[in-house]
Order: sequence, then C-alpha cells, then structure tokens
Amino acid sequence: MADLAQPAPRFREIASGKLGDARIQGALDEATDRLMTNRIAAWAGLPGVEELRQRAHEIRMEVIDDLDGHVARFTDALEDRGGHVYFARTADEASAYIADVCRKRGAKLAAKSKSMASEEIGLNAALEAVGVTPVETDLGEYILQLAGEHPVHIVAPAIEKTAGQVAELLSAVGGKWVPPELEALTNAARTQLRETFLEADVGITGANFGVSETGSVCLVTNEGNARLVSSLPPVHVAIMGMERLVPTTVDLAVLLKLLARSGTGQKITVYTTLLTGPRRPGETDGPEEQHVVILDNGRTKLLRGRYREMLACIRCGACLNVCPVYRKTGGAAYSDVYSGPMGAVLLPLLVGLEQAPSLPHASSLCGACTAACPVKIPLHELLLDLRRDLVAEHVAPWWERLGFTLWSLAWSRPLGYRLSTALARLGQPLAGLLGPGRVWSRGRKLPRFGRRYRDRR
Amino acid sequence: MPAVQLFATCLGDLAFPEAVTDAEALLRRAGYEVVFPRRQVCCGQPAFNSGHHAAARRVAKSFVRAFSRELPVVVPSGSCATMASHYLPELVGVEPFEVWELSAFLVHAGFRPLPRNAGRRIAYHDSCHMLRELHISREPRRLLGGSGAELVPFARADLCCGFGGTFSVRQPEVSLAMADDKLAGAGGATIVTSDPGCLMHLRGRSEKVGGPGVVHLATALERGVRG
Repeated sequence: MADLAQPAPRFREIASGKLGDARIQGALDEATDRLMTNRIAAWAGLPGVEELRQRAHEIRMEVIDDLDGHVARFTDALEDRGGHVYFARTADEASAYIADVCRKRGAKLAAKSKSMASEEIGLNAALEAVGVTPVETDLGEYILQLAGEHPVHIVAPAIEKTAGQVAELLSAVGGKWVPPELEALTNAARTQLRETFLEADVGITGANFGVSETGSVCLVTNEGNARLVSSLPPVHVAIMGMERLVPTTVDLAVLLKLLARSGTGQKITVYTTLLTGPRRPGETDGPEEQHVVILDNGRTKLLRGRYREMLACIRCGACLNVCPVYRKTGGAAYSDVYSGPMGAVLLPLLVGLEQAPSLPHASSLCGACTAACPVKIPLHELLLDLRRDLVAEHVAPWWERLGFTLWSLAWSRPLGYRLSTALARLGQPLAGLLGPGRVWSRGRKLPRFGRRYRDRR
Repeated sequence: MPAVQLFATCLGDLAFPEAVTDAEALLRRAGYEVVFPRRQVCCGQPAFNSGHHAAARRVAKSFVRAFSRELPVVVPSGSCATMASHYLPELVGVEPFEVWELSAFLVHAGFRPLPRNAGRRIAYHDSCHMLRELHISREPRRLLGGSGAELVPFARADLCCGFGGTFSVRQPEVSLAMADDKLAGAGGATIVTSDPGCLMHLRGRSEKVGGPGVVHLATALERGVRG
C-alpha cells in the first residue's frame, strides 16, 4: 500500500525544498488562486448556497450516522443488478481483490481513471506485481505516471508541472516532438491513450459517490475518460471509500451542485456518469462484469467520536486552494496521496497520530479551509483537536510538555508572571541563542521587551 | 462615565506596551473610563492552540479571576478576543464574559477618530481569527478611513500572514515565506493590523528585510502612521 505514514521532519523538509523553487511557487500560486476565484464566483451564482451547504452537511452526516445500513443497502441494490460488491477492510485486501479480478480474466492491461482511493491503497504497484500494466487516463495522472510521481492535489494532480515539462514527457512516449501548447499536448495524450481505452482488459475507476438506494456509482470528470474506462473494457472495477455514499439520487443532486462548483468553479463537470451494474441482456454497451470495492482502511475508527465529520469530505479540493500553507508547500509535503487541510486532518486519523505527528501542526489555524468547505467540515477545529490528542496521547515531545507546564505554572498567578517576565527581560540578549527565540530570530527580529504596559500606568 | 476593562494581552503588555497605551487613550477619547485589572496575565491561547489544554486552563483561570462580568472587556487583539470569548469559557467551565475586540467596540461606541492619517496610504491586514471567527473586518477599515487614511487594497487580503502562534517556530521556513508574500502584497503602503501576534511577526520580518512599516491599529488611530 502507499505509505501514508509521515514521520516528523518530513513535512518541514519537503516544504522547505519547495519554497526556493520559483517555478513551483508560481504554479501553485496561479493554480490555487484560479481555482479559488472560480469557486467563489460559482458559489456567488448559486442561490441559497448557505442552505445548500447545510443540507449537504446533513445528508453526509445522515449517511455517517448509519454507515453500516447504507453499505448494506448499496450492496443489496447493486447485487440485485448483477454487480459484485467487496468490502475491503485494509488497503492490502482491496489491492488483492482487484489483482484477483484481473488474474481471473487473464488481464494484462488495466485502464484507470482518476481515483485517490487507488492512490491510497497503492494499487498500481500491486497490479504491476501480478503482471498487469496500469495506465492512468486522467490527463494529470497520466503525466505524473510518465514522470514517476504522485499527485500533489486531489483534484488537479499535476498542477506543479509546466507545459514544457509535459511536452517533454509526452514527446518521450510518442517518439516525436510535441510542442508545449495546450492543444498539441491534449491531442498527443489523446492519441496515446486511445489505444489503452480500446485494448484494456479491465477498467478501474474511483467513485465520487455511491447511491445507497439504487446501488449506482457516480463518476464526474471533465475529460470523459471515466466513461470510457467504465464502459469499453469487459470488466469495470470501482474503488470507493466506504463513506462516499449518499442515500438517494435526490441527495446526490444536492452534492453534485456543490462538488464541481467547489472544486473547479464549474456548474457541473463535463461528464457526469451514473453506473448501475454491468451490461444487461439486450443492452449494447457497458462491461460484462462490474465490481465495487468498498474501502475501509481505517475509516471505521472515525465513525464514532469527535472526528466523524471528516468522513463527510467529498474530495473537492476547495480547502487546498484557499490554504495559505498548501499554497507555499504544495502537496508532496503532506503525503503522496492526500494533502492540504483535508490531508492534514485525514492522514493522522487513518494511520494514527504517532505515524503523522507533524501534520496537525502543518497549519497556521487561519480557518480559511473551514470557510471554504462545501459540506461544512470544521477542518481547523479538527486540527486543534488533533493537537490536543497529540498531547493527551503523549505523542508530543516531553520537552514541549515540560515547557508549557512550567510556563503555565508561572503564568497562572500575576506574581509568577511578573517574576518570569522580569527574568526574561534580563535574559533578552540571550533570547536569540536558545530554543524558539533562536528559530524565530533566524528570519525575524525579536521584539524588544522594555517596560511592561502594566508598569507604565 | 461608563467604564470598560482593558485586557492588555501578554504580547501587548510585554512587547507592544505603546499600542496598549494608545488603545487606552482611544477608549478614553470615546468617553470611557478605562479600568486595568491588575491581576490579569494571559488568556492561555499559546498553550491552547498547541493542544496543551491543562496548561491553557491553568493560565486561563487567571483571566477568570482578574476580570469582572459587570463591565465589558475590551481587547486590542483579534485572536485573544476570540480565545477569551469563544474558547475560554468552555475550557475553564465558566459563564462567558462580555468581550469586545477594540475596533468593534469603538465603532459600537460611535467613536470618531481624529484625522491622524490624512493622505497616508494604509493596507489593512485582517487577522484570521478576527476575520473568520469574530467576523470583524469592516470596523477597523471604517476607523482608519475616518482617520483620513487612503486604504489601499491588499493583494490576497484573505491570506494568513504566517504567524499562527507556535506555527511560526514549528514551520519557520513556510511561516517566513507567508510573511514575505504579505509584505509584498501591501504594495509599499504601511500595514496596519489589529493583532499583536501578526504585528510581532510581520514587523519582525519587515525590519529584517527592509520592508514596509507595520503598525498596530490603536497606534495608527491614536498617533497616525508615518509616511
């Protein structure tokens, strides 16, 4: 599976590396600004957007309140339509099941459309290990696959790549030079991918939503690749996080109204596909076999308790686009899969705080994410709660705990405050040499402590 | 004469005593007697935002002991006002206090600023908690406009300056990069903020790299910005 564990210094090291790269900084700034501006305009054009966000929140929480029931209804409905449902408790179970589906069909080539869940389980590596070649067909993911890299944004996976870099990658595949212009690049990718669509033995997609009532999988794309991947190959496998269900198609409509607007600022994506089971007798297209892999991989731990709202996430990317930290660091600092505020909350919950101790602190707690979340997840408050858990679960280092304890003992009384700050004033010449003062003063002047306000009155 | 309690905040008391003195002067000009409860220390926010709730509670109790519920508490800091009003009562388990951020209180009191900033260009920086949790953004601008300043738009005014409490030393590189963007976004105008945290960070950075002046709102209104 993909390594979701993020050891402590990793975020800072990768983030620092990105800061000095003017090209990446420019690309991040341009892309996040554009996506954010588009979202704000799209929300402004949506009457009753606040009521809609509230409704969307309620729909998502209704599912989370009875997730087992929804999974069971979805499973029954899809099996009635001839589809197969597999509930994978872990990433490895999910990958093994999909590899097995491929093996049974003697598959050699799998066409994939964009799926963060497949990144989460490290599916490509698992497929390659059993002799199946996975080819990404989302343009951004295809570019990253050619580059041997991972997505840095859940909606716009290759935003750090320039047209020049894409042209180089595509030229190397086709064996002829592709100019770094949008139309030429798109045409080259289209030509290269067309054969994959036609020859693939298995098509693998994610699932933006599943509808419990009908057993349908909903896929949204702008490139139409999910539609080809799910209908041309004889077998279609969809991987869906277990929380991605909505009760009815009416509820689905509410969430679709918000998803594209929040992700890219579109009213609706170019393609919205609803698939309900494999091809039936008398139908002319669609796969012979359809499998939906429902992925737990740690989500059950979130179902009860403080962090359950995180399961409401619809992976629109709005929180990434407004995040002042993501805007500087890009996605790789957080993980190879999820990033930005939603990643900073979700990753420690999935893998355990001790496996990702720096992510709850990879935020200035500015709250822009919470304000931008279409389903009203209080992201910055969840980060604050994760920080509390870091301390409560003794993941925070001992010296940090000792420091805050001593500080609080001194500052719990005016006398202790006066004495400790008088001491600090005396020690001022040394402040830049020690601990936080030293880190602070590397790039900033330390404030000078003169006579306190209280002593001036 | 009506009275208010002034909460200087720890940063105000220690690092920006002039700004607190200016806040006090403004409140007097607005017609209020200013009471300074001597037992005040800090709202506990540094520990609270780092997840150290026991430590935060210990310090926050000093706030509860120092302040009365009989008079409004006015705070020259958006984030400390947020802590004291939104989080502290639940953390300590007490009834809420009547907490006001300074600019909101002054506008509410009908205060008319002196024309200290006629012809001066000011870029106002929204501090995050004040903007998104207290929803105060018009009041400081209105006051600055009333003082004669020309308010210039901040590029990406919504962006955090990168202070974020301990974030500034946990992720110093990202924090500084965010400060640099903020300083550049002011287009050469003097930056005014309502938060001692943003002030310490942005001024500390600006002095290091030779950027624009960064001034607390109270000082800008009471004494005017230079330039």
